[in-house]
Amino acid sequence: MLKASSDSESKPGEDDSPAAAALKCAFSLMQQRIISNPSDMMGILLFGTEQSKFQTPDERSKGGLAYPHCYLLADLDVPSAEDVKRLKSLVEDEEESKSLLVPSKEPVSMANVLFCANQIFTTKAPNFSSRRLFIVTDNDDPHTHDKALKSAAAVRAKDLYDLGVIIELFPISKPDHDFDRSKFYDDIVYRSSPLDPEAPAPLAPTVKPSLAKDGISLLHSLLSSINSKAVARRALFANLPLELGPGFKISVKGYIIFKRQVPARSCYVWLQGEKAQIAKGVTTQMADDTSRTIEKAEIKKAYKFGGDQVAFTPEEIKKVRNFGDPVIRIIGFKPLSSVPFWASVKQSTFIYPSEEDFVGSTRVFAALQQKLLRDEKVAIVWFIARKNAAPVISALVPGPEQLGDIGEQVMPPGMWLVPLPYADDVRSNPDTTLIQAPDSLVDMMRTVIQQLQLPKARYDPQKYPNPALQWHYRILQVLALDEDLPEKPEDKTIPKYRQIDKRAGGYVIDWGHELEDQFRAWQKENGPRTSSAKRSAPDESAPPKKRTKPSDGVESGDGPNSINDNDIKQHYSKNSLNKLTVPILKSWMENKGLSTSGKKSDLVERVEEYFENK
Amino acid sequence: MLTMADKEATVYIVDVGASMGERHHGRSETDLDWALRYVWDKITSTVATGRKTATLGVVGLRTDDTTNELDSEEGYAHISVIQPISQILMPDLRSLRSALVPSSTNSGDAISALVIAIQMISTYCKKLKYRRKIILLTDARGSMETEDIDEITKKINEDNIELVILGVDFDDPEYGVKEEDKDPRKAQNEETLKSLTETCDGVFGTLQQAVDELGIPRIKSVRPVPSYKGQLTLGDPEKYDSAMSIDVERYPRTMVAKPPSASQFVTASNPADGDASIQSSATMAGSSDLGPSAGQAALTSVRNARTYQIEDSEAPGGKRDVDRDDLAKGYEYGRTAVHISETDENITKLETMASFDIIGFVPKDKYERYMHMSTTCIVIAQRTNDKAQMALSSLIHALWELESYAVARLVTKDDKSPLIVLLAPSIEADYECLLDVQLPFAEDVRSYRFPPLDRVQTVSGKVLTEHRNIPTRELQDAMDTYVDSMDLSTFGRDDEGNPAEFMPIEDTFSPVLHRIDQCVRWRAVHPAEPIPPPYEILTRFSRPPDDLVEQASDPLRDLIKIADVKKVSPRQKGRKRARDRTKPLSGLDVDELLGREKRTKISPENAVPEFKQMLETTEDLGAIQDASKQMSVIIENLIRHSVGDSGYGRAIEALNAMREELTALEEPTLYNDFVRSLKNKLLKGDLGGDRRDMWWEIRRNRVGLVDKKLSSRSEVSEEEAAQFYTSR
Repeated sequence: MLKASSDSESKPGEDDSPAAAALKCAFSLMQQRIISNPSDMMGILLFGTEQSKFQTPDERSKGGLAYPHCYLLADLDVPSAEDVKRLKSLVEDEEESKSLLVPSKEPVSMANVLFCANQIFTTKAPNFSSRRLFIVTDNDDPHTHDKALKSAAAVRAKDLYDLGVIIELFPISKPDHDFDRSKFYDDIVYRSSPLDPEAPAPLAPTVKPSLAKDGISLLHSLLSSINSKAVARRALFANLPLELGPGFKISVKGYIIFKRQVPARSCYVWLQGEKAQIAKGVTTQMADDTSRTIEKAEIKKAYKFGGDQVAFTPEEIKKVRNFGDPVIRIIGFKPLSSVPFWASVKQSTFIYPSEEDFVGSTRVFAALQQKLLRDEKVAIVWFIARKNAAPVISALVPGPEQLGDIGEQVMPPGMWLVPLPYADDVRSNPDTTLIQAPDSLVDMMRTVIQQLQLPKARYDPQKYPNPALQWHYRILQVLALDEDLPEKPEDKTIPKYRQIDKRAGGYVIDWGHELEDQFRAWQKENGPRTSSAKRSAPDESAPPKKRTKPSDGVESGDGPNSINDNDIKQHYSKNSLNKLTVPILKSWMENKGLSTSGKKSDLVERVEEYFENK
Repeated sequence: MLTMADKEATVYIVDVGASMGERHHGRSETDLDWALRYVWDKITSTVATGRKTATLGVVGLRTDDTTNELDSEEGYAHISVIQPISQILMPDLRSLRSALVPSSTNSGDAISALVIAIQMISTYCKKLKYRRKIILLTDARGSMETEDIDEITKKINEDNIELVILGVDFDDPEYGVKEEDKDPRKAQNEETLKSLTETCDGVFGTLQQAVDELGIPRIKSVRPVPSYKGQLTLGDPEKYDSAMSIDVERYPRTMVAKPPSASQFVTASNPADGDASIQSSATMAGSSDLGPSAGQAALTSVRNARTYQIEDSEAPGGKRDVDRDDLAKGYEYGRTAVHISETDENITKLETMASFDIIGFVPKDKYERYMHMSTTCIVIAQRTNDKAQMALSSLIHALWELESYAVARLVTKDDKSPLIVLLAPSIEADYECLLDVQLPFAEDVRSYRFPPLDRVQTVSGKVLTEHRNIPTRELQDAMDTYVDSMDLSTFGRDDEGNPAEFMPIEDTFSPVLHRIDQCVRWRAVHPAEPIPPPYEILTRFSRPPDDLVEQASDPLRDLIKIADVKKVSPRQKGRKRARDRTKPLSGLDVDELLGREKRTKISPENAVPEFKQMLETTEDLGAIQDASKQMSVIIENLIRHSVGDSGYGRAIEALNAMREELTALEEPTLYNDFVRSLKNKLLKGDLGGDRRDMWWEIRRNRVGLVDKKLSSRSEVSEEEAAQFYTSR
């Protein structure tokens, strides 16, 4: 779905020619995409090279001659280890890249390049919902004097547009010349795709034209601008009604912006052939009694109940799960602060207005977003994402646009559906005692915290790649490319210990001393407590909290499982604690704040200990 | 380890006297059926737990027969133990259903039934730890002997039995139930039962309320299980003296309660015919020995058999089965298979040590709520460690005072993947803890960009603040007023009737979870009846409350008027897009360039664009027909010359383009005629052999007939279009 093309008009003598930088980008992108979008295709076509290469199974085409000075470095496909290896050697071996990146003596026809790309998409990726052509070049005017070639290129660009291919341009300026889109490329690039007319106009160019002298910054800025376009935007749901009130709807689209990326599942590999091959599992369903193969339509759903099955027809199952049509329906508004920090069950979904179903959606959506931002409010909504999907009560949280250092968008403006837990999803807190820190100790901790703010006082996910995920694919790459195993994984999530020590070490030590002092003082006041008694303070002032029901002041009020102190003491003196049942022992021990874990013998031992120490 | 909930033993005493078979006060069901609603709900809830230790028994009061331990004694007639105390399974439910029907007598003493129930519990539970409970449902129209009542009260209290008495049309002024012209004997009995419950701290209620409250979901409580026990550190204690470490424990705060999952079954082949099937299906079969369940045939479970295939160009169909034993574990790296030998099994796993390590701190207002990635947990100090409690408390309070959060790296167990969590302080009257939630890693964020909502940037770079997509002052004001009028934060009422937050989390119940629970339990006792509607409590929050809507109706009306939102009709959506959209950024008229070139012949290599361009530059029906004809030939050739399925993708793409363009041009018949003939050729094998897979692709991609709904010019009905996809 993605093609990086590169103009190879490299400047000899420079460390990172634009072409070499583009190749590095492609290499980095390829590695990244294998992790993030393992089923996406990618190809690399160099143009303006002295060499030409194009392969096609179609005998009717004229082989490499059809597209002179086009070099198909990697055909459009899901990348293989060989593709990565080839690119890697090009990126790492200067000699090799120099021999390939030789500019052609005659100018390349851009019409030809675009048609070459067209044919690659047509044959290799028919029917893909998103097909994009990335053009990286520093030549803003390939056909200065040839108007016919220029027109031909515009026609071929229109072909690509009609095919549904989106062209993204990554221009690179030269030290003495700013890249001028209007000379040629404004005839090539379209403002939206025919498949997604709602797609916004391309944002202001964020590719910072870099000086070719500064190879690193060129690579860096190219990488960042390509990365921002690397993933085609795919909607999670399209044109869902957002109902602001009875009879008032606008339409929105939903996007997944946050999603936990995990290593792809392991698969089975067949090793008997020349090449290792992935074996695909095929499941057939059969009836357990006769082992006959069954059709989907025969299957009934049943729930286990009382040692038997309670069955429903598929229609009934649908009816049971149906809570109405897909919708985001606003129930009302609350302050953002009324949504507790803990009220979270999974990642949120981003929504953005769409004019497709309701003209005027955008302005209404914008008005709502701005009101909620201003007043720090949220809408509480009833959200059904798809037909028969489980309804989720969510908070619709407004999100402002956030810009990065160079004015690029880091977070889009819109609203977020934050799914809230139901009462069923909330766990109760485990019992514990509460010992509040004295103010002096809190003050010292405050100093520590103030020393250790994260850079720019915010959590920036981009700074923290997932170490386990990176390691997984690093090793796979090593195995696939037959490289040497790396020694130590790179893990950017490990705190910067040296800095912590340098910046806050002294304050932490002060805090530690204060804790010792304050704790000693507290112990003096509250009396020393053995560790077994800590669980629930046996002080008369603080009745034990553990699961004891309010017993109307009557000690035997706990029913047949309770025993009073005298009785149990008698058992203790007669050495007959063993005769009591476990629940009776436990219930008495709970009252005394003793641990009730372990086997019966442990319990008896603990009770004995209790009386021995008395 | 699972928590061992208390063992419980409950006896239901159900009055089935002849008077219970009557209908009263305009109710359409008999008093017994009404009471049974409660009974079935409670019993099936117990069954649904699947716990062996959740036991119950059922005693029939005013039964025709007499079967109980004391049946030889006077006063114990017409009381029958229908179900001794035990775990209840489906067969028990079925026999209960046939037993709990109105009798033809009105004799039988409720007090005596209580004695029987006490006796049953006493015998079953002995002195063991049990939750003991007796629930009596009656209309109190029978005669009662009250002589021994003190004795009974004493026994109930001694054994710590919870007593619940629910009566048909019992008076309950608090709930607003008062039975007019009450039978004097009933009135007296009610009084007796009421005082009985009062002396043994029981519950006395009217059935109306009990039935009304059946929909209130029961929330399962789960014992907290720690997800991390160890130290919370700041700095590296192994390397630096200045490092802080506090012993902590981490427990879940939220965890999604999943509805039970259904298993797959099919109707069993007649078990009487095959010996082999009897054994496996015996436990499954909804045994048909009882009348009411006869509607349900026996079921047998579905087994999944998995086979493995590899691609093999020489094998028929391009695929070949391989033996499971010849397969090794591996991963995909791009399209390359990477095999991992058994000895290296964990080679791709990052080695980690359990730890909870603070990375740094961020101010609360620099954090966006939508970054929450997961369920939440709480972090408290080790529960036996006073010093840790004091230490953690200082961190909690310092964060609170600074309005800050901590960011930490968490490995819950050795060799688990590291997580990054955000830690927030939580201080309540008698509880302090840190709350944590997972944050995204770099790979978890997709950088999608969207245009701003408060300004519009044109292609030329001009920034507009007035545009049809930007709210006017007027619209913004109307929205502000509406939002303010729909405020929920004081719309609710607390127990004392004071304004409170409407729809707090504790009032919202998972609709699917409880709906499935309701339906399964209903179906278990009503196998032949349709599923009841969902309880109101499950859909209460599916729309704004009526009072609020009423209150906000004026602001809403104003907002609608000013917003001037127009629905786009489905037909408009299909229309050809405006011409100016198809121009490149420069606005160059490519059509004109094309027009000069005059494309009249569509080349197979570039079919889709050329087809579209041909239609774009013409209005002439003849030219449209010509383009369609050329396209048809290209599509047929793609299929005819396809090696295996290699050409199908392109054929589908071309079909799709043709379908869309001709629909937009309101010439659906051109397409429909072609796709009909194509189907015919495919199924007859006229396009280079067996091309049924191509037909399957057409079905899968839904590029069949264009129906009336899609294009008003079509003569094909929706039914016909759907019918088209079948293989006939």
